[in-house]
Amino acid sequence: MEQWHTHILREKGDKSSLLLQGNRACALGALDAGVRFFAGYPITPSSEIMEAMAKELPRVGGVFVQMEDEIGSICACIGAALTGELAMTATSGPGFSLMQEGIGYAIMAEAPLLIVNVMRAGPSTGRPTAPSQGDVMQARWGTHGDHPAIVLAASNVADMYRLTMAGVRFAQRFRTPVVLLSDQVVGQMRESFSPELVDRYRLTSGDFTFIPGYVRPDVVKEVGQVHVIGGSRHPHVTGLYHDETGFPTDNPEKADAFLRNLYNKVANHRDELCLYDVKNEGKGRVCIVAYGSCARSARAAWKLAEQEGLPVEVLHLYTLFPLPVEIVQKVARRVEFMVIPEMNLGQYAHEVRKMAEQWTTVVSLNKTDGNLFTPRELLDRIAELIGKYENV
Amino acid sequence: MPLEIERFLHTERLPHIWCPGCGIGIITGAFLRALISLGLKRENTVVVSGIGCSSRAANYIDVGTIHSIHGRAVAVATGVKLARPDLTVVVFTGDGDGAAIGGNHLIHACRRNIDITCILFNNSIYGMTGGQFSPTMHPGDRATTAPYGQVERPFDLCRLAEAAGATFVARAIAANVRQAESLIKQGIQHHGFAFIEAMVPCPTEYGRRNKPSRAVEMLEDQRARSVTRSQAARMPAEELRGRIITGVLYKDTDAPEYLDTYAQVVAKAQATTSGKPPMREEQ
Repeated sequence: MEQWHTHILREKGDKSSLLLQGNRACALGALDAGVRFFAGYPITPSSEIMEAMAKELPRVGGVFVQMEDEIGSICACIGAALTGELAMTATSGPGFSLMQEGIGYAIMAEAPLLIVNVMRAGPSTGRPTAPSQGDVMQARWGTHGDHPAIVLAASNVADMYRLTMAGVRFAQRFRTPVVLLSDQVVGQMRESFSPELVDRYRLTSGDFTFIPGYVRPDVVKEVGQVHVIGGSRHPHVTGLYHDETGFPTDNPEKADAFLRNLYNKVANHRDELCLYDVKNEGKGRVCIVAYGSCARSARAAWKLAEQEGLPVEVLHLYTLFPLPVEIVQKVARRVEFMVIPEMNLGQYAHEVRKMAEQWTTVVSLNKTDGNLFTPRELLDRIAELIGKYENV
Repeated sequence: MPLEIERFLHTERLPHIWCPGCGIGIITGAFLRALISLGLKRENTVVVSGIGCSSRAANYIDVGTIHSIHGRAVAVATGVKLARPDLTVVVFTGDGDGAAIGGNHLIHACRRNIDITCILFNNSIYGMTGGQFSPTMHPGDRATTAPYGQVERPFDLCRLAEAAGATFVARAIAANVRQAESLIKQGIQHHGFAFIEAMVPCPTEYGRRNKPSRAVEMLEDQRARSVTRSQAARMPAEELRGRIITGVLYKDTDAPEYLDTYAQVVAKAQATTSGKPPMREEQ
């Protein structure tokens, strides 16, 4: 678990970039973050992650297993995680639906895991395989009961690498499953990539220096005791409400404290978990709030807007949950419009509206035809908004 | 004087939740005696269970225990065993947990022949949820969801496990606790997937709607109907109807075990790819 896999690109000092697929960058990030266990089930458009892990894990002494379904996959990951192994799985919408009970158990058992969901258009079999962002709220509330969630969203190949690492680290630190959302475009496209390129993108929050053997700091006080199955403490792990001994409890006070602790260990650490990037900070009348592949369109739109003299800011969110309340509200206070382009019917726009509508007008832009937003489309809409505003 | 098996019990968690006359405790006792006689250590032994009456045993047994999700014990155990091949991994599951909702995981674990011992407590009913029929209930028997009698045909779980690829298959009955202990012991010692079906009476939910009804009668009935494999081999099919064939029903010591095979994969991967940079995109 504590092994630090220095991948050969870096070892050789090879600074040249290479053409890497998003899904493979994810596998590379996982290996570099110390993931040594992968259980999965084939599904397009995520299978390349699994294929890369099948090839690479035995090389570094890790374990790869193809399970009978996605339920089995996440359960095998939970079993491995409970022995102290860094485990992950990758899937797409239909498989993510099957994994929900396992995600709930991993939250209850405080088993650290990374689940990558390379989204495709749903519900059900949907459109294999057109890109979509339709699983955003499922990533937040997919499993039953009140529970915390850490959900990240990747927008390019470099993100697939570094957010995989961030996800693994958050999972370890908070001892909870972390969901990394990607989509068919981000997962299957190829971009030039090198570790040096990764460093070029600076995030506003969170450091990306991964310390070998980083398991859990003492600052996250709400995190339960580490229970390693197969160790001298031979603990009991259960999906029932339990107290500090790990055994089930029916005591109402203890049950309440247990659930609130579980929730707060994530909610109380938003400052550390919320990763974002603001472009053209403080200079826009309109802010495009975007994540995933829509953020690519947003960033391109911002560059176009600069040329055309439109006052546009971009808030690129890498962390969707816990909600980045502080930064959204900070931006909302200074802009007239917040525009949220999404490849769904406005799932995250609802969340932004809750956070921001007190200060600004929230406009949800939706696409579910499997196409990306073009920067031009975004700008036209923005120009229209500002125009309307001026006519009033 | 405390019983020897109490060393492996969280006695502070007792009394257990099982009803008077339930057979789960009898088989759990047999498991603990097998554990002791094999000299297994707490820290090297893991019990993984699902959800249901028998799965609650994980609450009382003092080894590393995972009380997992309904039907998923075998899948969780697979993860544990793959990550830590040095551990002795035992699954506690029931007929609803292991053969209905978890049936897929069970057959695939049999197929992989991974070195896990699976004890399936079969009482032909969902006890914890109040007496609904399970996939091992016989036609005509009554349950809350079969008020006019069961119409579905039951699984023969030992034949299922054998056909799916398990390399040790045995059937135990609560009425013969010595045999149960011996079978569990052999199952744990077996290098490969060991499946042990333990027939346990449920007087509360099964007995109250069916005959025989009372705990002692149910145990006596089990004993009267049980025959060993060698006895069964000499009996005509006519006479075998309604009998419970006990003992080791199938054993294959030559089939490759999954972790052994995976170790070869690791050796191969490390030998053939050393020196080459990983993840270079084929261009």
